[in-house]
Amino acid sequence: MDPSEVEFLAEKEMVKIIPNFSLDKIYLIGGDLGPFNPGLTVEVPVWLALNLKQRQKCRIVPPEWMDADKLEEIREQERREDTFTPIPSLHYMELTKLLLNHAADNIPRADEIRTLVKDIWDTRIAKLRLSADSFINQQEAHARLDNLTLMEINTTRTFLLDSLNCMYKLRSNLQPGSGSGKAHDY
Amino acid sequence: MADALSEASDLSGGEESQDEDVLTPPELIARLEEAWLNEKFSPELLENKSELVECVMEQLTHMEENLQRVKKGDLKASIHRMEIDRIRFVLSSFLRSRLQKIEKFFPHVLEKEKSRADGDPSFLSPEEFAFAKEYLANTEVYLKAVALRHMPPNLQSVDMLKAVPEPCLDSFVFLRVKERQENILVEPETDDQRDYVVDLEEGSQHLMRYRTIAPLVSSGAVQLI
Repeated sequence: MDPSEVEFLAEKEMVKIIPNFSLDKIYLIGGDLGPFNPGLTVEVPVWLALNLKQRQKCRIVPPEWMDADKLEEIREQERREDTFTPIPSLHYMELTKLLLNHAADNIPRADEIRTLVKDIWDTRIAKLRLSADSFINQQEAHARLDNLTLMEINTTRTFLLDSLNCMYKLRSNLQPGSGSGKAHDY
Repeated sequence: MADALSEASDLSGGEESQDEDVLTPPELIARLEEAWLNEKFSPELLENKSELVECVMEQLTHMEENLQRVKKGDLKASIHRMEIDRIRFVLSSFLRSRLQKIEKFFPHVLEKEKSRADGDPSFLSPEEFAFAKEYLANTEVYLKAVALRHMPPNLQSVDMLKAVPEPCLDSFVFLRVKERQENILVEPETDDQRDYVVDLEEGSQHLMRYRTIAPLVSSGAVQLI
């Protein structure tokens, strides 16, 4: 899957905005939004929030977890523990990137947040590599991956799955008459 | 124009007879997104979702008709257009990944379709079936024209089923559990390991072979991610 498609999914997450215009309720196919009144917070999907922000029609209220102090705590916990800690948003990486790139002026301590999220990401990806390594070494057939986010899975997907398939092919070719001539994509 | 746009929300999007229930438009879109991801990540072609696709198309056309009556530059209309574009993207990506699989596995897809019992639902939509047949015919004609007719007579035929790789159901996939499942058998990787069972708890995520959980994907109990 392309990373931009993961970002596309993240854009469905809801975020609070403070509009500077008024508009009646809108009836989208995917659900109702609004009504919009100047100065009153309202929840909209990220894709709409970013568009309105670009047209200077709203201020974005950062999600609760997007706070330097909270993220620092998460970073410390992530570094302390060997397993993946529960993360406050399943799309923390994409949302941080989207909101900081397009609405940094609405987010206090934006630069600190950028660094903290990057640190959390790096720590988690290092763990992911380690566990993928032991998964392959011990020739496991099943792994539980709670708390892993879609973007994290996606960074390792192609490489890990292709390697596993190659190894499977090599192994099954040792037993005559099985597993030959199978496609390995998808 | 407010009336024209609010009408769309009352529209229940037809019926989804697969589950014998009426879906609201938001549920419809959620279903489409699930089907999209499942199709993207499963190694084989999944059953067709023609009805779902039709319902979504109906929603889109209806909304687009309403939007034609709205003057350009209207804020509300631009938001609706953006949503339509997003839904269209998912829809095309979904149909495209099905076509890619058909192109890749066409002899096997057609074979499966041939051996299907009369009452069973088809894996291909009528359009996809026509596409697969045509693709097979064209490939055969092309192979003959460029290579086979220059071969010695005893080598002039080729068995497509053997020549084209099968989908590899033993691929690993990532999945999230939507409905709790018990006693899923995990086959061992090597001979000196034993097989064992795992319980899949709701909301948990796993990495395992597609073959083990294929039925759960079609029943909707797990979601590929």
